[in-house]
Amino acid sequence: MDYEEILTIHLLLSFRHFEICEKIFPINLLNLPNMIQKIFSPFARISKQTFIIMMIVQVIIALTIWHVGSNGLIPSPIKAKMAFLHLLTTRQLWDNILVSLGLTLKAMLYSIAITLFFAYLSVIPFFRSIAQFIVKCRYLTLTGLIFIFTLLTKDGSQLKLSLLVFGIVPFFVTSFLAVIINIDKQEYELCKTLGYNNWQILYEVIIIGKADQVLEILRQNFAISWLMITLVEGLSMSEGGIGTLLIKYNKYNDLTNVIALQLVIFLIGIGFDYLLGTIRQWLFPYTRITRMETN
Amino acid sequence: MTTYSKQEIILKAENVSLSYGDKIILHDINFNIKNIVRPNMTQGQVVSLIGRSGIGKTQLFKLLSGLQRPTTGKISIYDSREVKPGDMGVIFQNYYLFQWRTVYQSLLLAARQNATLKGKEKDAIEGYASHFDLKEHLHLYPQQLSGGQRQRASIIQQLLKGSDFLLLDEPFSGLDVCVLDKVVDLLIDVSLADELKTLIIVSHDIATAVAISDTVFILGTTKGKCGSTIKKEIDLIERDLAWKKDIKKEKAFLDTVEEIKSLL
Repeated sequence: MDYEEILTIHLLLSFRHFEICEKIFPINLLNLPNMIQKIFSPFARISKQTFIIMMIVQVIIALTIWHVGSNGLIPSPIKAKMAFLHLLTTRQLWDNILVSLGLTLKAMLYSIAITLFFAYLSVIPFFRSIAQFIVKCRYLTLTGLIFIFTLLTKDGSQLKLSLLVFGIVPFFVTSFLAVIINIDKQEYELCKTLGYNNWQILYEVIIIGKADQVLEILRQNFAISWLMITLVEGLSMSEGGIGTLLIKYNKYNDLTNVIALQLVIFLIGIGFDYLLGTIRQWLFPYTRITRMETN
Repeated sequence: MTTYSKQEIILKAENVSLSYGDKIILHDINFNIKNIVRPNMTQGQVVSLIGRSGIGKTQLFKLLSGLQRPTTGKISIYDSREVKPGDMGVIFQNYYLFQWRTVYQSLLLAARQNATLKGKEKDAIEGYASHFDLKEHLHLYPQQLSGGQRQRASIIQQLLKGSDFLLLDEPFSGLDVCVLDKVVDLLIDVSLADELKTLIIVSHDIATAVAISDTVFILGTTKGKCGSTIKKEIDLIERDLAWKKDIKKEKAFLDTVEEIKSLL
């Protein structure tokens, strides 16, 4: 099959998909001008159906622009899709994903533990300055600290873990301190009227009251740790990981596989985003109620 | 006229003032609340602090609750002990409850702070919940309750904590006529629960506050001075306007309301 035949089949399949979608999401063509106007109005509320259709149209436009803009160097969407599907069948990809996920999850656990320690203690004046210093550390670049960490750690695995934790913690602490600063004064006052001492207030309002925010911070900042994986895994490539794989494909200018791998990274990130959000709502049912009220 | 006597002072505000920098909010606040005793019945006290919006009622409310210290003077209860946070039960204007706790869990937190309820917390919660029509809602979160239900839950929480004093900030605000009557009945029930139970209501709803109270303090400004003070104390018992149903129809009541309005 040549390239034109593949393209034709692809377009026909897309059209068939559209027909099926139209059966599931029927569009009233007479209402279309109204719908379009609403989509471009600030604060307008649109139905879930309209939102999905709009997203599909945007994806089709983006893919079309990509296809038209692709040349010999930048692979077309179809090539990227094929490379992606092929990549999914390789053991190499899954082995490297597991290595990266293992490292990321380990780093997240250590980071959350360190974050909570300093964030909870930040309400004590002695530790407040330390927490503020950690917040400012987010301006430090990891590249400049590699040598110091190399001296402090015993092997490549520890080095990668330490760098990741050091990179993530300032962002976690920043997010959680913002949660603590924005605590409603009435939460504090209610505790006072119940006769709580300051340690009991710390426990009730911050540790218990903001426990759901820990997962939310984890979800929001997972992207940062996932982003740092490629940097950190490049430092010690012996253990593999998707960062290592990405560097290898980049080195040989294999852009098709680079894009395919980026798509894998992207999908894993979205998957974790969804998973952490779901766990949060399951563990803390009151967050579901607040979300329903917002909707 | 109903027989009664005023006995020991249970709350005293002496020369209380509050300023923020150069701005004087409250000055020369002096008043007493005495234990009212009626023969053959349990009668608590219901005191209203009435004033215009922005006059400093909420600031005085915070001083009474112990959440804020006065700039000068002191507020003391019973044996001249200065009031501190936790001495008073406080029901905030929006009936705030912990969003992450169900109603039952919030009530349990309060009950555990009450030494007299040790081992009987669950029974006490269920008792109050039945009495105040909240039994079906104990497993819900505050976000799932109506305003009236949150108010009742808030009141129960403070009752379980065991405070003799209950401070209510604008409890009648934004309520329709039907709900208002229920709230009034609820507060009367609470005031009759214990001899030393004292409700201090901060409100700008003159008619409802006068209808439910035995004493009214009017907060307002005086000529030549910055900030507000207690302009007048009205003893509604002496005027035979306390503890009566359908008081709003009486001429003396309407005259008193007009008098208060003129003072504001």
